[in-house]
Amino acid sequence: MTLEELEPKAREMIGRYEQPRAAALPLLWLVQDNLGHISSEAEFWIGKQLAMSVAHVRELVSFYTMFRMKPAGRRELRVCTSLPCQLRGARDVLARIETHFKIRPGETTPDGELTLSEVECLCACELAPMAQLDEHFIGPLDGDTLGLLLRGSRIPDPQPFLSTGGPVISSRFRYPDGAWFETYLADGGYQSAGKALLHMTPDQIIEQVSAANLRGLGGAGFPAGRKWSFVPKSSPKPRYLVVNADEGEPGTFKDRYILERDPHALLEGMLIAARAIGSHKAYVYIRGEYIRPARRFARAVEEAYANGWLGKNIQGSSFDLDVVIHRGAGAYICGEETALLTSLEGGKGFPRLKPPFPAISGLFQSPTIVNNVETLACLPFILRHGPERFAALGTLRQGGTRLFSVGGHVSRPGLYEAPAGVSLRELIYNHAQGIRNGQRLKAVIPGGISAKVLTAEEIDVAMDFDSLTAAGTMAGSAGVIVMDESTCMLEALLAASRFFAHESCGQCSPCREGTGWIHRIVRRIWAGKGKPQDLDHLLAIAGDMEGKTICVFADAAAWPVQSYITKFRSEFEEHVHTGRCPASREAVACRP
Amino acid sequence: MSDLVKFTLDGRELQAAPGTLVIDAAKKAGIEIPAFCYYEGLSLQAACRMCLVEVKGAPKLLAACTLPVAENMVIETESPTVVDARKFTLEFLLTNHPLDCPVCDKGGECELQDMVFRYGAGESRFTEIKHHVDEKQWSPVVFFDAPRCILCYRCVRICDEGMGVKALGVTNRGAYSEITPNMGSHLECDECGACIDICPVGALTSGIYRYQTRPWEMDHVGTICTHCGDGCKTTLGVRNNEIIRGNNRDRSGINGEFLCIKGRYAFDFINHPDRLQSPLMRVNGKLEEVSWSKALVAVAQKFSEIKAASGKIGIIGSNRTSNEENFYLRKFAQAIGTPHLDHRRTGDIATLLDALSGRADALATAEDLYTAQSVLVVGADLAQQHPFLAFQMRANWRHHQSRTFVVTQGPVREDAFATRNLRAEPGQEIDAVTTLADDLKSSGDLIVVFGDSIRGDSLRKLVSFIASLGVPAKYICLLDYSNSRGAFDMGLIPGDGGMSAPEMLAASDLDALWVVGANPLADAALASQNAFVVVQDLFLTETAQRADIVLPAASAYEKTGTVTNTCGQVQRLSKALNVMGAKPDLDIFHLIARGMRLDLGPAQPDKIFSEIRATVKGYDIPLPVIATGGAALTNPVNGNVPHAAASAALVRGSRDTLFTSGTLGRYSPILSKVMEAPGGLYRK
Repeated sequence: MTLEELEPKAREMIGRYEQPRAAALPLLWLVQDNLGHISSEAEFWIGKQLAMSVAHVRELVSFYTMFRMKPAGRRELRVCTSLPCQLRGARDVLARIETHFKIRPGETTPDGELTLSEVECLCACELAPMAQLDEHFIGPLDGDTLGLLLRGSRIPDPQPFLSTGGPVISSRFRYPDGAWFETYLADGGYQSAGKALLHMTPDQIIEQVSAANLRGLGGAGFPAGRKWSFVPKSSPKPRYLVVNADEGEPGTFKDRYILERDPHALLEGMLIAARAIGSHKAYVYIRGEYIRPARRFARAVEEAYANGWLGKNIQGSSFDLDVVIHRGAGAYICGEETALLTSLEGGKGFPRLKPPFPAISGLFQSPTIVNNVETLACLPFILRHGPERFAALGTLRQGGTRLFSVGGHVSRPGLYEAPAGVSLRELIYNHAQGIRNGQRLKAVIPGGISAKVLTAEEIDVAMDFDSLTAAGTMAGSAGVIVMDESTCMLEALLAASRFFAHESCGQCSPCREGTGWIHRIVRRIWAGKGKPQDLDHLLAIAGDMEGKTICVFADAAAWPVQSYITKFRSEFEEHVHTGRCPASREAVACRP
Repeated sequence: MSDLVKFTLDGRELQAAPGTLVIDAAKKAGIEIPAFCYYEGLSLQAACRMCLVEVKGAPKLLAACTLPVAENMVIETESPTVVDARKFTLEFLLTNHPLDCPVCDKGGECELQDMVFRYGAGESRFTEIKHHVDEKQWSPVVFFDAPRCILCYRCVRICDEGMGVKALGVTNRGAYSEITPNMGSHLECDECGACIDICPVGALTSGIYRYQTRPWEMDHVGTICTHCGDGCKTTLGVRNNEIIRGNNRDRSGINGEFLCIKGRYAFDFINHPDRLQSPLMRVNGKLEEVSWSKALVAVAQKFSEIKAASGKIGIIGSNRTSNEENFYLRKFAQAIGTPHLDHRRTGDIATLLDALSGRADALATAEDLYTAQSVLVVGADLAQQHPFLAFQMRANWRHHQSRTFVVTQGPVREDAFATRNLRAEPGQEIDAVTTLADDLKSSGDLIVVFGDSIRGDSLRKLVSFIASLGVPAKYICLLDYSNSRGAFDMGLIPGDGGMSAPEMLAASDLDALWVVGANPLADAALASQNAFVVVQDLFLTETAQRADIVLPAASAYEKTGTVTNTCGQVQRLSKALNVMGAKPDLDIFHLIARGMRLDLGPAQPDKIFSEIRATVKGYDIPLPVIATGGAALTNPVNGNVPHAAASAALVRGSRDTLFTSGTLGRYSPILSKVMEAPGGLYRK
């Protein structure tokens, strides 16, 4: 395959977008998928296709971690060492893989067979410790599975626990191969979309969604109906619906299951939302590592087109909607809605200043609504069963249920659908069957790695947005990371701070420098070289970053530092003063 | 003034137009809000976070660079929270910064240094190992020291937006973010150095200036660049009678801080080893060094003899000498009674002025290019040949969405933002231009910029076509060197019965040829075998090699006077230094005149300028503007010179590019180095 041969395909891809540059990531993927890596020559070629300076093409190649400038091995093994996997032994797993293949992350075996890399959260914490072998997520990599991996044998599909009983989202998770169009239709699918397109006005939809108390489930918890209402009713510009399927918050793995097992629920939700805001073009931004979910979702899109649920004049409603699937390429920050839009337009994932908010000026400077996958997947239920029923499932100000991703030291990691106001205790002890090996609970992160940590004494809290905010933390993406008494909080903070240092986009100076600084201090303490003033410095640096940047990434990076050190200060102090780990009782550091 | 927004800044009640950014409103009120990434004229980045201010009612500090003032907004720029935030931001910026100020070029004029001094904390909490990357050389001009970089993106934005070159990007992310050149390991671009100049720290340094001096050791002399006809102000940093650098950081002059590679770096011809430092006289067929007095006496004697014998003396003047020198040279020609006076004309200003006869305000200035609603470029590659005018047009498009129409032979950089671009062979542009009639009629006031292929009849056609559109229109006739316009205005063209320059060269009976700052024999032969040839130049050019007497001349940076740019704007030259052995052309003229016992009046530039103001049409310009380093437009349209004498057929552009500049370019080491560097992205 040569670059010239890719030109027809490139032109077709460029044609999907309003501006050529938006096809930058698709073209980079096209080159990498077909030629194995992105050479300097390819950078010039892409620049030429998109009338883009090669300097700016190169920016993208280096910003997104999945793009390669050099050839890789025939297979690629990406081992996750983010906090949820670390809690379940990822460091051991990586060490065994390194020893077996005699390579370090970033290297390829001499026979060119395998390239190894160490990556941040792949959002498959139910499989922890896990890795991605080419496109497949594999795990838990304990005993047998790891042995199969090292021997190069076929690894059976994992069977983690998943809620399948609904009521709102998870009922069709019972189909391991996915609920495809016929199944979805038989299950009452697309009734709500039909209603929205044929029998409801946009205002009526917004009213119902507002009455249902549907909150943005990507993490911010902003009322969905209200967000939609910000879209100008009369704008000469097109309006866009953008689906945030850039699931990346460590500890979270819900959207992947919707994409894989119930993609039509998302599509139906998109139809409803598009109708509500008057959008005729929707982009679905799926994180780059979600190769299989993207493929499955693409199949659902094809089915929807084939059955008249996408395209022109949908079901005779004279409403049109086209859907473009857009793959990310490895950058957590692109989950932030404005960074996602910048990325979608062919830039590095740099968050944008607000205002203007995307609802006024978003994608291609046009009114845009960015909604999370789960948020949209709730919409068919709301229109079908009425907002009252949805609202009644939740709390006073947050309707419905949520998909709780529960990982870490629980007996049964998995994805649990539960009412929005379920208590954290119930999630851990009833749903996830308590702490593994009969250990005692030490700490829980209730809403993805950015959320402040709760101690074992603080788990009698409802998991809805408002209750967790009141408890000094946040519901976030509902990624629950459970830590038992063997956990070293310093090591947990090391994982968290490494994550934030790795994922800071680098735009704002406090975050760019602060995340790296924090990580270096934590790493030094962890290496047994702490200084008495370190903890106060860490708290101060975290405070100095917080609230000072364009987006809230810096705040998210500050919260773990502040909460871990404040709540487990004596443990940190012991590390600093003795160089010993009080949790693992190891001589110098807690490194396994 | 009810449409102004009222707000309170540090307890002061102020007003500003709606949409004014807090940082600008504060600046106007004399309150500094520190910032690195905020830069007038460039897109907003809001990344450095230095400009955070406290706004009453806002939950967080807000960036003043992106915050428009609002009615009743209460802003604090010196509250304890703000003061702390600045301290912390500076501390963050210094974490990976090497603090190698003692050996950094920027030390002493570094914005980071100044900010830390003014707003920073007394001590740092940072005790980790800094992230280090080795310094890189990207081109003969540009060096990059990544650890010093504070990632304000100014360089990327000036290159993208200001220059339209887009040669820089920021690769990687987080603390490993790094400015990277377009070719990966090296840079291929205009080499204009704007990125270096705009860098607030010492991350980008120039191959010319680096490690040469401490900034405070220099004197700064603002003068006009001697290269192209755009007339950019360049501020020369001079130490011990040596130019160390050029820039225009004080944004004085028509060009603000804009300079191309020539204005910023190509002053180095001054110290070229081949620079003439002694008069030369042909003795036994060979040029030998002689004293000034011997040379001058020889010239005066020979000229006097020829004059007495009513011989033919041809004089070819320069596109680079000052108005005063050119004026004086014309007087000289008159005094010795020779009508054979000319210079190489690089654009048909004569026909333009004739075609516009009777119209005032028909010439556009460089400033007008920034404000006009539309611009038509005919037959010129502006980015290559008139980089400042190109910059103005680009800025106009970026800031005011002006409409640009381009009719050129080949692709030009302006195509990227042109409303329409058409290709036409030289001489056939007017047919293409007429197809733009409807677009031009509907685009508001218009500036027409044209090159040397538009001359004579085609220029008249163009002017009458534009007049037929019924939109207000002004013109810029592109001229190639720093005082091409002045040479024409001062009358360096043939008098009654006089020969043009090519005719002088072709005249076998020419008795003497006096060439001042020109090199006509570079591509032509002198027919008269016996002509006595006197050449005033900086270098031993092809013409000088044929001379009987060569007189070493001072460059524009070594003299005072005035020059007139391609738009007809007069600006003052300031003397930056003396070069041993060379004399300003005016002094040379004066000494020859004295030797010939000619009374040409005073030979001081300011006195001659008074004469010019009194006698040259259009040059009655306000003195204070000139005296304070400003640019005064000659107005009304100058009609001093009979148009018929300046034949349109002889107009011939220099064909210079960004990296060439006639004779001076050949002797500029930096231009030579850039020409020899790998690549060729913008080279021709």
